[in-house]
Amino acid sequence: MSFIALTLLAPLLAALLILSVRRMAGGLALLGIGISLLAALASLAGAFDGATSQLIMPGLPNMPLILRATPLTAIFSALVATVASFVLVYAVGYMGKDPEKTRFFGTMLLFVTAMQALVLAGDWITLLAAWELIGFSSYLLIGFWYRRDGVASAATRAFIYTRTADLGLYIGIFVLIGAAGTTEISVTLQTTGTAATIAGILLLIAAIGKSAQMPLYDWLQRAMAGPTPVSALLHSATLVAAGAILLIRVAPMLPGEALFVVGLVGGITAVITGLIALGETDLKRMLAASTSSQYGLMLVAIGAGVPVAALLHLIAHAAIKSSLFLGAGVFQHDRGDTDLKKLAGAGRSRPRIYFGFVVSALALAGIPPLAGFFSKDTIIAASLASSGAAWLAPLALGGTVLTGAYMARALRLLWVGKAQKTGDSGMVWMGSGIAVLVLLATILGAGFPAVERLLDAELPTSLMAAGLGLSAALSGLALGWFVPAARLLGPIRGWALRGFAIAGGFDALVLRPSMAIAAICDRLDRAIYNGVLAIGRLNLSLGILSRKSDEQGIDRAIFGFVNRTIATGARARLLQSGLIHKELALTIIGVGIIVVLLVAVPMYF
Amino acid sequence: MLPLLSIAVFLPLLGALLLMVLPDKSRRVAHTISIGFTGLTFLVTLAIWSRGIVPGGFAQVEEVSWIPAVGAAYRVGIDGLSLPLILLTSLLFLLSSIYSARVDKRPAVYVVLMLMLETASIGTFAALDALLFYVFFEVSLVSMYFMIVGWGYEDRQRAALMFFLYTLLGSLPLLLAILGMFLASDPYTFDMRVWIDNPPLTGIAAMLALIAMVFTFAVKIPSFPVHTWLPAAHVQAPTVGSVILAGVMLKFGTYGLIRFALQMTPEAFRTAGLVILAFGVFSAIYGAFVALAQTDLKKLIAYTSVNHMGYVVIAVAVAALSVDPKMRAIALDGATLQMISHGLVTGALFFLVGMLQDRAHTRDIGAFGGLLQNVPLLGWSFIIAAFASLGLPGLAHFPAEFQIFLATLNIQPWAIIAILAIVVTAGLYLRAIAKVFMGEPVEKWATMPDLDRRELAVIIPLTLLIILVGVAPSWLLDMIHTTTSTLSF
Repeated sequence: MSFIALTLLAPLLAALLILSVRRMAGGLALLGIGISLLAALASLAGAFDGATSQLIMPGLPNMPLILRATPLTAIFSALVATVASFVLVYAVGYMGKDPEKTRFFGTMLLFVTAMQALVLAGDWITLLAAWELIGFSSYLLIGFWYRRDGVASAATRAFIYTRTADLGLYIGIFVLIGAAGTTEISVTLQTTGTAATIAGILLLIAAIGKSAQMPLYDWLQRAMAGPTPVSALLHSATLVAAGAILLIRVAPMLPGEALFVVGLVGGITAVITGLIALGETDLKRMLAASTSSQYGLMLVAIGAGVPVAALLHLIAHAAIKSSLFLGAGVFQHDRGDTDLKKLAGAGRSRPRIYFGFVVSALALAGIPPLAGFFSKDTIIAASLASSGAAWLAPLALGGTVLTGAYMARALRLLWVGKAQKTGDSGMVWMGSGIAVLVLLATILGAGFPAVERLLDAELPTSLMAAGLGLSAALSGLALGWFVPAARLLGPIRGWALRGFAIAGGFDALVLRPSMAIAAICDRLDRAIYNGVLAIGRLNLSLGILSRKSDEQGIDRAIFGFVNRTIATGARARLLQSGLIHKELALTIIGVGIIVVLLVAVPMYF
Repeated sequence: MLPLLSIAVFLPLLGALLLMVLPDKSRRVAHTISIGFTGLTFLVTLAIWSRGIVPGGFAQVEEVSWIPAVGAAYRVGIDGLSLPLILLTSLLFLLSSIYSARVDKRPAVYVVLMLMLETASIGTFAALDALLFYVFFEVSLVSMYFMIVGWGYEDRQRAALMFFLYTLLGSLPLLLAILGMFLASDPYTFDMRVWIDNPPLTGIAAMLALIAMVFTFAVKIPSFPVHTWLPAAHVQAPTVGSVILAGVMLKFGTYGLIRFALQMTPEAFRTAGLVILAFGVFSAIYGAFVALAQTDLKKLIAYTSVNHMGYVVIAVAVAALSVDPKMRAIALDGATLQMISHGLVTGALFFLVGMLQDRAHTRDIGAFGGLLQNVPLLGWSFIIAAFASLGLPGLAHFPAEFQIFLATLNIQPWAIIAILAIVVTAGLYLRAIAKVFMGEPVEKWATMPDLDRRELAVIIPLTLLIILVGVAPSWLLDMIHTTTSTLSF
């Protein structure tokens, strides 16, 4: 229990400490991640002894938050801590001169905390929360150099792409909780039937977004706007791994048809993004495309019904790809750019780094006895043995050939050219970070049988798979080294450079329609606003009108009557002159009129 | 036992009266009284919280006979629905007082209006007598009207007209519904507890009363299509006006929707549930899309209120439609927590935009760029609040929205399309952040000062609460759940 807490708390507290005291960022970061690594390894050791530990915290009513170290989650946890540790060692050198390194290390550690929560999650709320938080950390890290041109848009895009796909995770989780009546992942995985299929497809959508699979792979290449250690940790070994990790965990629940869809998506992605990597002109973007492609291969393994094969490739890939990125970062430091043309010969000037880069590249291509060989071998064997072999096996082999081809091309471009480098500041840290990860990429294969035993998994092996895989890797390497990419890709090169965007891609299919809807809603809203305002004005003018009619109609009538009465009175008063003769005359006239009336009236009746 | 609830209701009014009789009405005196009395009120509400609530009914009831012949009395009390809202209200008024400490345009009148508004707001949530509720409900509008007219921005006349029109038309139906329920109760009473325990109206009469109440509360919430007063009023209102309007007064609508419409005409609500749900779903999506089209920061935030309050309407509607008491409690938990979260988050956002406007005298997104470098504290506070508003886990809206959507999918699966709005809100906030705080810094704002102590005193508590509610919502949810799990309707 305490080890789980320590795994998360050490990086979290280190992050908060760094952000508040604002000094010794690198040292505190290494301390935090070091403790976390030890705790994660202790949990893993516990798992080997058959112990399952967990941590339960209050969450929502009747829905507690659970962190649980099972054999599978302990492996993930140790993997995350290991890669993160050595990437941070490297970063101490890489970010040494950056004025805002406190923010960098603070955010990186927050990310690691969230990632540990994700892999150790025992309930869906924790998983979902961690899932979104790693997306948020990724946003902050891609946007680290927020003043630079295009960085804000890259960060925004990464978050929006993955959040769109995250809707699948939200709804998938709601389906599972509704069906099982609990948020505990292990219980909900007992779900069967239609609910399982629907939830499986929904979770696949989420995984597609996070693991940059077809059709949502575009964001990952843009994410390279962040510092290189970010690419090495988040966009190769951890954040992107979340999608595959999710699918590995729920694989036992997925019915056959859902599994096949997973495999197909992965296979097609492996080939398409492999082609993109082959045509790419920027080293980091090429590695990013390769990441999508490798996760595609892992999805093939899951689709073939052997999630442990995917797990092995995930482990191997984590060490390999992070070391490749870190190597790329050294070349970038030397040349101030990641464009492959400007990097020509960069490897020649750093032979030791280049050597590590070559070892990792060969490991990724699947050359024995490096780690990638064993994991790729099991993936190909699994795809051959699966019921969907006719689809999955060619895609897996195609992906393998492409892996060899684009890695060989990169190796050649880095080697051929003039040697030239800048200062060596921070090289000790950077070099040692890379060295450990390359070492892991070399020897991890030896640990795979232990993982299989721990998980109680029977992996398919066949000589044919090994032979096919190795020849695919070798032919790919040969093609990539000897044949220029332009010739290999032929007519589809232009399309590959545009990322195989279909019908204008995300922008044309989602972004612009959304903005159009927004504009329409806005117009409607103004219309309603003006309508109400018009009613208001109408009422006001009615009010003014009635006031006017009051003033000029009734008021005038009444005041007019009063005025006339007064005027009449005034005129009547003129008669009251007070002169005796006048009064007498008037009296006589009056009496005369009365007499005439009195006499005349009866004559008519 | 001190009648703490009544003290909380009338303490601000006492402060207003005190200020009126004081000979010295200088800025300093006015704001000292303002901060002092809102601070005291906040402490009193904390004491009320410590006294606690009871499941299945109201706690801390205080009752004084008023018009015995018609069964009207001064009755106040709280449950898990109203107590969190009262706490939120007293907190936001305290922070508003602190923020306002620099207002020097007729400060005494300003403070009197604000304190009166606080009495009306706490009174609205605490009232257990329908007549009393109506009085508080109406009085709040008067103060707000004068705040907008007296201290608003350039186009305040028109906004005030809009506000006036809506409030005039909006609250009359509620009065009719209240009178209808009064006439149907036997013996005659305005006691809301009696109406909740035995809904007085049935059949067509109940439906008419429901329509009347839903109309009144929909104006207040605000829900499409009677929401257009909100952006107008928000943009023109002074910062504190916007904060109180969004943080407190919108909740009159959602609170009334539960307390009156759902609890007093439950059968009719169930019958009309799908229609109300449809309005909620449309409002939520519509609000998000209109917000996406805005370039005025204040207007953008105002429209996200339409979106967030739409979720509350959805939750209340699905709670009414649910037959499973567990899911119903989840929906109502989510609805109530969403009100609190929205108060904290939108309150913080309006404060921050107000602070930005104080410095730049513009709210146009396009006028800024790279501000994170010039004003990092303001920038990071805005980023946290914006991410909270778009529903990031670990921040206040997530637990509420999780529960709302969970219940929605399991009760009325089609209504889950409203979840699309969380992507749209993500898009609009990230666009705003990218344009205002990221990118090339604009020369014009190079000397913009960062948050000062007074502003930090407002923003830090809100930010901490946003994180606290997001990370460990159970201290709030347990209180809410006590009531929602036994809510009678």
